[in-house]
Amino acid sequence: MLPALWAVQDQFGYLPSAAVAAVAEELELVPSEVAAVSSFYSMYFSHKPGQHFVQVCRNVSCALRGADGILAHLGRVLGVEDGATTADGLFTLEGTVECLGGCGGAPMMQVDRYSYEDLTPDRCDNIIAALRAAPPVEPGRDGGPGGRS
Amino acid sequence: MTDVARSPELITVIVDGRPVQVPVGTLVWDACEKAGVFVPVYCAHKKLDPVAVCRMCLVEIGTLPKLQPACATVASDGMEVRTRTEKVREFREGNLEFLLLNHPLDCPVCDRGGECDLQDFALRYGPGRTRRAITTKVHFNKAVRLSDKIVLDQERCILCWRCTRYYDEVTGEKELVLQERGVHTVVAPFEGRPLQSMFQGNLPEVCPVGALTHAQYRFRARPWDLRRTPSVCPGCSYGCNLNIDTRETEVVRFASSDKPEVDDGWLCDRGRYGSGDLNRADRVRSPEVRLGGPGRSMAYSEAIEAAATALASVISEHGRERVAVLGTPLMTNEEAFVLQWLAREVIGTPHVDHQLLPWTDLSPAEFSLGIEEIEACDAILVVGEQAEATAPVLTLRLYKAERKSGRRVSRVPGDIEAGEAARRIAGASRVGVISHERDRGLAAQVAAIAVASGASVGRLTITVGVNGRGCKDLGLLPNYRPGYVATAEVGLHGRGILEGCQSGEIRALLAVGPNPAVEAGADLDRACAAVQLLIAITPVRDAFWRHAGVVLPGRTIAEKAGTVTSSEGRVQTVRIAVHPNIAVPSEVGLLAGLGACLGAARPAPTAPAAVLEEIRTAVPSYAATAGGLRAAWGKLR
Amino acid sequence: MADDLVLTRLVGRPGVTTLEGYERVGGYLGLRKAVTLTPEQIIDEVKSSGLRGRGGAGFPTGTKWSFLPRDVFPRYLCVNADESEPGCFKDRYLIDELPHQLLEGVLIAAFTLRVSHAFIYIRGEYRAQRELLDRCVAEAYEAGLAGRGILGTEWDCEVIVHGGAGAYICGEETALIDSLEGLRGQPRLKPPFPAIRGLYGSPTVVNNVETLSNLPFIVLEGGAAYAQRGTAASPGTRVFCVSGHVERPGNYEVPMGTTTFRDLLQKAGGVWKGRALKAMQPGGGSMQILGPQHLDVPLDFKAVADAGSSLGAGALVVMDQTTCLVDVAKRLVDFYHHESCGKCAPCREGTYFESQLMHRLEAGIASESELATLSDICANMDGRCFCPLGDTATWFVMSAYRMFPDEFLAHCGAGRCPVRAARPAAA
Repeated sequence: MLPALWAVQDQFGYLPSAAVAAVAEELELVPSEVAAVSSFYSMYFSHKPGQHFVQVCRNVSCALRGADGILAHLGRVLGVEDGATTADGLFTLEGTVECLGGCGGAPMMQVDRYSYEDLTPDRCDNIIAALRAAPPVEPGRDGGPGGRS
Repeated sequence: MTDVARSPELITVIVDGRPVQVPVGTLVWDACEKAGVFVPVYCAHKKLDPVAVCRMCLVEIGTLPKLQPACATVASDGMEVRTRTEKVREFREGNLEFLLLNHPLDCPVCDRGGECDLQDFALRYGPGRTRRAITTKVHFNKAVRLSDKIVLDQERCILCWRCTRYYDEVTGEKELVLQERGVHTVVAPFEGRPLQSMFQGNLPEVCPVGALTHAQYRFRARPWDLRRTPSVCPGCSYGCNLNIDTRETEVVRFASSDKPEVDDGWLCDRGRYGSGDLNRADRVRSPEVRLGGPGRSMAYSEAIEAAATALASVISEHGRERVAVLGTPLMTNEEAFVLQWLAREVIGTPHVDHQLLPWTDLSPAEFSLGIEEIEACDAILVVGEQAEATAPVLTLRLYKAERKSGRRVSRVPGDIEAGEAARRIAGASRVGVISHERDRGLAAQVAAIAVASGASVGRLTITVGVNGRGCKDLGLLPNYRPGYVATAEVGLHGRGILEGCQSGEIRALLAVGPNPAVEAGADLDRACAAVQLLIAITPVRDAFWRHAGVVLPGRTIAEKAGTVTSSEGRVQTVRIAVHPNIAVPSEVGLLAGLGACLGAARPAPTAPAAVLEEIRTAVPSYAATAGGLRAAWGKLR
Repeated sequence: MADDLVLTRLVGRPGVTTLEGYERVGGYLGLRKAVTLTPEQIIDEVKSSGLRGRGGAGFPTGTKWSFLPRDVFPRYLCVNADESEPGCFKDRYLIDELPHQLLEGVLIAAFTLRVSHAFIYIRGEYRAQRELLDRCVAEAYEAGLAGRGILGTEWDCEVIVHGGAGAYICGEETALIDSLEGLRGQPRLKPPFPAIRGLYGSPTVVNNVETLSNLPFIVLEGGAAYAQRGTAASPGTRVFCVSGHVERPGNYEVPMGTTTFRDLLQKAGGVWKGRALKAMQPGGGSMQILGPQHLDVPLDFKAVADAGSSLGAGALVVMDQTTCLVDVAKRLVDFYHHESCGKCAPCREGTYFESQLMHRLEAGIASESELATLSDICANMDGRCFCPLGDTATWFVMSAYRMFPDEFLAHCGAGRCPVRAARPAAA
């Protein structure tokens, strides 16, 4: 079921209810069973988020190294509150997220599928500017394979 | 005692110092119950698999450092269970604090108040004071209409999972599921879709708190104002046990009453919410004689005499065989027995029936399968849709047979070719064939094929009306006397009687109403208008009442005492739940009185219990049915 | 001491994340050797290596494998790559750097246990790692290392990479199984244990990424070679994730038992900015706090347990003298509140209650009686919840309270966080 929901979300950016019903039909389940599952997992969206989903980790390791400041800074740069989407629909800022497994590069954030580590306000500005200019950004040493050791 | 101790299947569990013997595989919770020790639970339910989510039943077991869930722990020999320790007491108090944390304080306006496990346990085991300095509760939706029958208050929900498990394990429909996660978890249908199930009324009963309530019962009564009478559901012939909850003279609700062999604790919505029919306003309140003139209210004795006189004159003028007697499958066994006595022994007519269609080629085999035995069949064939449509709780038993016992259930349409239907159960050694009486011909053919192939076959035939089976057993048929003794002369069946009324062949009709089996399929009104003399005993203003020359008020099933026989032959007791008017004699009394006025050689007893004794003498298979046992006409071969 | 390394010895070799690059440095020789052995021989090697599960519980791997009922098939292997313990990032690292080493370990375990399907359950947030593993699995299939007739033998095994979707609880093995089956990832009642009735009702083994990544070495070099590292009670090496207030946060592979917390802290460059150590949390967010007095405790299962904590999933979060423990506890409690699956009442409501109280405490508006309430509700949760999530949601906060009672008390009625107020503005 999870891969089916991923396929839907990759296509639409979220899980439209018609698609949930379609997944149910495909898997020979009743729609409520699919809704039970999709609503359980935090990464499935029932509403379309911004084009870029910016998740700032604020768990212990990141918090110890200034994650709150990073989130506040991003909020100012993007002009949105935690959990909100920018007016142009480009960014959704999320500060409530599980530990993203980037504690070695704390503070860190994940934008879409890529991690950005050792954040400073300046680095955040650069990343946001780059995403604004030419999405999607190819990750440098931060993203994907190549976390720190 | 020594025999028990030697039995290999029994083990000894010590509950609060008291040894108790239980079978291997027993849950600690059940062992406690057996020891007479009450363990509070929310999620655990006798009919559902354990999940151990509410934690309310945590107890100390042996030397285990952690408290263990009694509802999900299997007892072992010599196990020591302690439920009254300080550790358990403290935890129960703490757990209730957790459960009440986000629970609204709306007991005064909650339908469940007075019969709520959260209220009860909070009082018994709870902290007794609050220490929350938190002002922000997590809020959810209140009074969500899940359908025209069920209202959900998500805030009152304590997430015991009973309703979702009920929908998963008992009906398989999964209309309610858990959504979201953690403290935000709610029980909800998919995108607010109204519930469609035929079995929604069980939801408020599995719910231990006031989260799921009946729309019909909303704000209508407090449980301590209700009087509870155990009875049988009048909705169909399946024989589900229930409790009739009444307030003064009004039936307020039907509540299920677990009869494991029959209903397994469940009711269908048609049966449950049919309780309103018992409060009809269009009641016949007093006897009325209209013979040849304007209607006059009379005393019972006068009305009965008037009826007997009119009937006697028809008999002397046209002969006994021009009189017909039509009962109803809503009658009790006692009434049916006295009515056929009145027809055969007093009036002397062969034309007696209780339904429209002829009932021929009876074989004891068609009643050979008990409801409980369905689960023991390797393969079950349901012929036609009418059986489940008539007796919906059957569907739950079939699902249980499939899910819990891994049985094969096949459903075939009522117009299928018998050979093809039989192929669905080919190869099975124990076969159950279930049909409505309308499809009994096809069911008999299929069963015969299965028997010929060497299978042992049991049949269950769903009869019409709450006591259609009893009416047949007790000879309210034109071709069988009580006990299926064939009559020398075959009278007119229900449809023939109504046609006779119109053609003039029948001059007088003694009818008991209401008769849903007849009303559904005949122009009853025209027949009643045409017949020269109609004597009606009916509680409501139906077609019989409209055209009768003499009307005697009848009782609803909630006002009767006696027995009814379910489709599988279980003879069960109905009791008087409401007394509408104590001056109203019972139908048995009315019929006996009518018999006496017509000059019966031997008076009939007027008390239902005395009639039942006569039935047991007259019909051997009813001799051993006391306590709700099945009248056995034939066994699974 | 590079020779002592097991898991990370190949990190950084050119092209090692590809099949070709991995095979160039000896990759898949372990699997090639394994298929010439009997499953019993491999289990014996694993048992003699003394390898214990690296997911947190530390259960001996060979013993866990031997719980599978004989001759019951199909069997499944689930690889727990749902790493989400706060402070843990070793699985991501091992996947990023040496995906084929994990895959080889998976295949060795699959061969040993004669499973038909191996599922790698990777958390949804690790999207890039999931895609990397997908690519590696495809390479393995291409090279005949997975799929049908592996390495020319009669043995078939499908390897499926399955992405989670954001739920910490799916790291609990039975919740992982439910999630894999397409259900809400909530823990199951035990017994039956997965070894008897797990995925799709069949015997199932769930092993952690790091655990399995050790297998190529153990098979190739022998269990004894592995057990030479570390001590008899805690054999082998382990990757520790050091984060928080250190100069060089990161993953460090060290032998167990012979290394102390002080050694590990030194490897990570010591406490940052020249500050003093206030506290540290080994094992990940679930585990109890330790103080400077524990620096010389060896990284040994028993020694750390005796100190009142656990090695858990192999993390070390370091906190310097300026840290407010109430704030740290609040964040962890919030995390458990957010991740509670909601199945059982004490965890669902308890983490909510805990979180509310911690926020009041951190803000300095809680009273001392609320602090007593906090202790009380933690006692009502610990050991009473359905699964360890609810139990562990109390461990850090209670251990921190025990170690720093004055700091907790100072918050009561202070109107603000006294630690933050005392902190120099620059910190």
